[in-house]
Amino acid sequence: MTLWRLEWLRLLRTRRWIALAAVYLFFGLTGPPLARYASDILRRFGSGNLQITIPPAVPADGISNYIKNASQIGLVVVVVVAAGALTFDARPEIGAFLRTRTDSLWRILAPRFWVSAVAAAGAFLAGSLAAWYETVVLIGRLSTGAMLAGMAFGVIYLAFAVAVVALSAAIARGTLAVVMLSLAILIALPIAGLVRGVGPWMPSELVGALDALARGAHAADYLRATSTALLGGALALWFAVRLAARREL
Amino acid sequence: MAVGAPPPESPPTVRTASLRKEYGSHVALDDVGIEVPRGTVYGLVGPNGAGKTTLLGILSGLRRPTAGTVDLAVPRRKVAVLPDTPRFDPWLTAREVVDLARTMVAPDAPADRVDGAIRAAGLEDAAGRRVGGFSRGMLQRLGLAATIVGDPELLLLDEPASALDPAGRRDVLDLIARLRGTSTVLFSSHILADVERVCDTVGVLRAGRLLYQGTMTGLLSGTVAPEYRIHVRDGVEQVVAALRAQPWVRSVAQNDGPGVVRIGVASADDAERAMIPVLAGTGARIASVEPEAIDLERVFLELTS
Repeated sequence: MTLWRLEWLRLLRTRRWIALAAVYLFFGLTGPPLARYASDILRRFGSGNLQITIPPAVPADGISNYIKNASQIGLVVVVVVAAGALTFDARPEIGAFLRTRTDSLWRILAPRFWVSAVAAAGAFLAGSLAAWYETVVLIGRLSTGAMLAGMAFGVIYLAFAVAVVALSAAIARGTLAVVMLSLAILIALPIAGLVRGVGPWMPSELVGALDALARGAHAADYLRATSTALLGGALALWFAVRLAARREL
Repeated sequence: MAVGAPPPESPPTVRTASLRKEYGSHVALDDVGIEVPRGTVYGLVGPNGAGKTTLLGILSGLRRPTAGTVDLAVPRRKVAVLPDTPRFDPWLTAREVVDLARTMVAPDAPADRVDGAIRAAGLEDAAGRRVGGFSRGMLQRLGLAATIVGDPELLLLDEPASALDPAGRRDVLDLIARLRGTSTVLFSSHILADVERVCDTVGVLRAGRLLYQGTMTGLLSGTVAPEYRIHVRDGVEQVVAALRAQPWVRSVAQNDGPGVVRIGVASADDAERAMIPVLAGTGARIASVEPEAIDLERVFLELTS
């Protein structure tokens, strides 16, 4: 039983993987049909006095529907699942068990970070592939290059989000407090991005990259946000190890 | 020298000097200096809030001292720690918990050592069960198995038998006793009989201060005034009067029934030399003279009151 297998079992036996996969797959499977049949749905539920006209769906609308829903609820689920793994000091006896058996906090943190990030990425990719497939079937073709690049940017953002959770777990101790702190940081980033010139550098820009690329944006537009996310994520992990090492149980 | 016993000149496995720990304005440890000889079992006793868990936390590296030094003569990876209420991820089996401990501290150790540790802790029937349903006693046994599986040189055990039934406590104490000579054990306990049973050295903490440190024999004989019980057939008054006149007699009491006199003395040496002549001089009929047994509980209460 290694620390890596421990994290794998945590995902499987606590069934957290189901929560991750369910959220992304649900929105991946429902986003394109909602875009394709939006006008029919509105017509069926609308009253006779009000007529809403929606332009015919384009392929990017299917992806847009998926991203809008999954980027919010999915992110909350990712944060909760990652916090469950990364708050090993929430129960001091478990923290003591782990900490007294290794000289390096990174040895404890690394599997928890990577397994959480890979699980989040896997769920996001599964949802994206489902949305892509349904969009092609129901609405029309999407650029393969744009989709692959958009999915890569989404994965980088989720890894960044998990790194933020790791940092939060080194600052706060309880799982709920870590979830709240992580969400506060992740919500604050796009708000900070409203400052002129800062937005393109914010990792939160990557959230909508898949949607924007499907609409014809260039991947190069996201390189600044990618570099910030990678650097910021690495710094968050470095600080997480430093802060966790200073903590007393 | 017994097999596995350390050479007499070997330095102590644990040595602290002027150790102090403050939590805000509260002083949890004050000027604590302990020495745990290699290969021995050291018992740390003290009332609630004495600082035992804080001291073990500092020795295990989970807390930092405000001042003072800690010297461990063994590498950190050879130190095993057992908290008083061990907890584990409830979806792991007992065998997985112990195997995780093995791979973290002794990855090269054979996997069958896991079953050996589980057997030594008396958990072989529950090895395949998930620990979420374990009682506190079973968790304590599991914690002990996870502690010994890495073949540690120093074990820091916080109340290792506090949740166990009498049979379980005996098993754990036997296990600790068997570790003597090959490992060094420092354990805290409220159960004085446990400490008395297995410890070579005792440290008594109260309110963060180390009141006594030394051998169990020294503690029992050197810290409490000896007492004697004298059964007198007749002539009790003469006996009481004669004893009260002696400079080596500290107290004389007759609370234990008719004809029974209990005396406290300054030293056993004086009493053993002078008591019989004094009693003989009274002319009273003396049925028996016996020293009162000094147990750890009495010593502990006298030291910590």
